Amino acid sequence: MKRMLPLLLALLLILPAFAHAQEEKVLNILTWADYVNGPMILEPFERETGIRVNYNYFDSNEEMLIKLQADKAGSYDIVLASDYIIDIARNEGLLLSLDKSLLSNWENIDPVFQCQFYDPENEYTVPYVAGTPLIIYDPAYVTIPITGYNSLWDESLKDSLVIMDDARNVIGITLKAMGYSFNVTDPGELAAAEEKLKGLKPNIRLLDYSTPHQAMISGEATIGYMFTPGVVWALAERPDLMVAYPEEGMGFGIDSLFIPANAPHPQNAHAFLNFLLRPEIAVNIAEQQAYINCNRAADPLLSAEFKSNPALYIPAEILGKTEFIQDVGDAQLLYNDIWTRFKQY
Amino acid sequence: MRTKRTKKTLLCIPLYVWAVLFVGLPLLYVLGVSFFARGATWGVTDTLTLSNYRKIFDPTYLKVFGDSLRTAALTCLIVSLISYPFAYCMARAKPAYRTLLMILVMAPFWTSALIRTYGWMILLKANGPLNAFLKWLGVIDRPLKLLYTEGAVLLGFVYTLLPFMILPCYTAIERMDWCTVEAARDLGASPTRAFLTVTLPLTLSGVMSGLTLTFVPSMGMFFLSDLLGGSKTILIGNLIQDQLLRARNTPFGAALAVALLLLTALTLWLQRRTGGETQLF
Repeated sequence: MKRMLPLLLALLLILPAFAHAQEEKVLNILTWADYVNGPMILEPFERETGIRVNYNYFDSNEEMLIKLQADKAGSYDIVLASDYIIDIARNEGLLLSLDKSLLSNWENIDPVFQCQFYDPENEYTVPYVAGTPLIIYDPAYVTIPITGYNSLWDESLKDSLVIMDDARNVIGITLKAMGYSFNVTDPGELAAAEEKLKGLKPNIRLLDYSTPHQAMISGEATIGYMFTPGVVWALAERPDLMVAYPEEGMGFGIDSLFIPANAPHPQNAHAFLNFLLRPEIAVNIAEQQAYINCNRAADPLLSAEFKSNPALYIPAEILGKTEFIQDVGDAQLLYNDIWTRFKQY
Repeated sequence: MRTKRTKKTLLCIPLYVWAVLFVGLPLLYVLGVSFFARGATWGVTDTLTLSNYRKIFDPTYLKVFGDSLRTAALTCLIVSLISYPFAYCMARAKPAYRTLLMILVMAPFWTSALIRTYGWMILLKANGPLNAFLKWLGVIDRPLKLLYTEGAVLLGFVYTLLPFMILPCYTAIERMDWCTVEAARDLGASPTRAFLTVTLPLTLSGVMSGLTLTFVPSMGMFFLSDLLGGSKTILIGNLIQDQLLRARNTPFGAALAVALLLLTALTLWLQRRTGGETQLF
C-alpha cells in the first residue's frame, strides 16, 4: 500500500488534465440567492446543453471574495457580483480572461455597460444587470418638492426616511449633496460630510439594506432612497408612490458575471455566458430581476410595462453623468468611523 | 475498572476532536488575525500590530461597548423583575398547573428567535394588529410609531431572554427547603422578612445563573437591534458584523470579537466567584 500511494497521488494529478479535454457536464454558479431565475434561465440551459447547474450562494460581495480566495482548488465556474468587488478580485488575479471565440453573442452587449473601471480592457466580464438608486416617496405625506439628495434633509420629513444600512451609500449621497464625489478620500471633506450627516439622523425612520421597499409598502416610512429592485417592488405594490431622480447626480452600479481563474469547467462557463447573452434570455433577466437591461439586442423585446417604469427605463439625458461607488482604499476606515458615530447620535 | 475508563476516554475522543477543530482552531484564527494590519483594499497585510486593540479604546468604539453594556444591564434588570415572581408562582403552583406553565415557557424555543422577532415586527407595525386595536378602542387616531424605537429593541431583548432567567430561578426556588421559611415564620418573621432573609438568599444562586445566561447573549444578539430598532443604533454585535461583512476591516472585527470574548469570560468568572450555579455548564 505504501508503494501505491505515490502512484495514486500521481494519478490524481493527471486526472484533471484528462477531465479538461472532456469537461464534465456540470456548472457551478456562485451568486446571491434568487439572482438567476430557475424556470426561465437555468432550466432551459440545462435542457438544451445537458449541463447540470449547481447554485451556490453568498450574502454579500465581501463574502463572495472571501469564498473565492479560500477556494484554492477551484470549485466555481461562474461568479456574479458587483462592480467594485470585481475590481478588487481582478487586481488579486482571480479572474479568467474570456475566450471571445466561444461567445458568438458578445456583440449583443450594450457598449454603455462595457469598459468600466473594473474591466477597462473589456476582457473579463459580461454585464448582467445595472441599476441606479433612486428616491421614492408617498405624495400623500410628503408635501415638499423632492428634487434631490438635499430634499431628504428637510425638517418636514422627521422620522419618515428609509435608507440602505450602508456607510458608502449614505455618506456618499451626503457628499453628493455637498457637490463632492461619491468616492471622496480627503479627511477634511469627509469631516464636513459627517457634520451634515448628523442633520439627517432625525429624519431616519429605519436603515435597511435588503428589504427597504417593505417599509414603503407598509407605510412605515413615507420616503426612501433605495436600489432599483426596491423601487420597482415598492411601485408594483403601491402605484401611488412617486419616483425622483436626484439632481445632484445619480449613483450607478453594474452586476457582472466572470469566470474565476481556477474554474474547473471553463468551457461550460463560456457556454453559459453565451446563453445569457441571447436576446430572448436577456429580456427575462432584466424583467425578472427588476433591473436595467444591459443587452441591446433584447431592447426591442422589453414589454411596454417595463419601458414605462421610471426606475427601469431612464432616458440617457436624465440619467446624465452617473458615478460608481468604488473602493477607496484606506479611506474606508474613515467611512467606518463616521458610520459608527452616525448611529450613535 | 481500567477498561471502563479507557472506554469512556475513547467515547470522548470525537467530542474533543470536534471541539478542537470547530471551536479551538477558529478561535485561534480569530486571535491571530486580530494582530495583523488591514490591507488597503482587502484582507490583511503581513505586518504585526496592536493598533486594532488600540482602536477599541477610541471614544467612538468605547461608546459602543458602553451602549451594549447599558442595554444588557437594563435587559437583565427588567428580565429579573419579571422572571423571579413568575418563577416563584410557578414553583408554588399545583403540579398539573406547573407542567402547563413550564410548557408555555419552553414553547417559544420550538421556533427560531429570528422568526419570533419577525412576529414582533408584524405586531408592532404601523398598520399592524396592535395599532389597529388601539385605533378601534379610540385611544389613538393616528398609528403610533412603535417599531424602530429603542423601546422596541428592549422589548425584543426582554422577550427573547426571559426563559433563560425563569428556568434557573424556578429550579432554585423549587429545590429550596420550604421548612426553613416555615421555621422563620414560626419564629415570628413577617412574610416579607421571611422572604428577604430566607427565600431570597437561598435562591440567589439561581438568580446569578439567570443573570449570566441573560447578560452574555444580550451582548451578541445583533439581529434584534437591526430588525426592531431599524439598525439606527449600534451594539457590539452589530459592530463586529459590520466590520467583518461590510466595512472590510477583518482584523478590527477580530479584535472586537476577542474583546467581547474576554468580557464574557470575565462575566462567567464573576458568576463563579459570587457562588452562582456551579453546574451551569
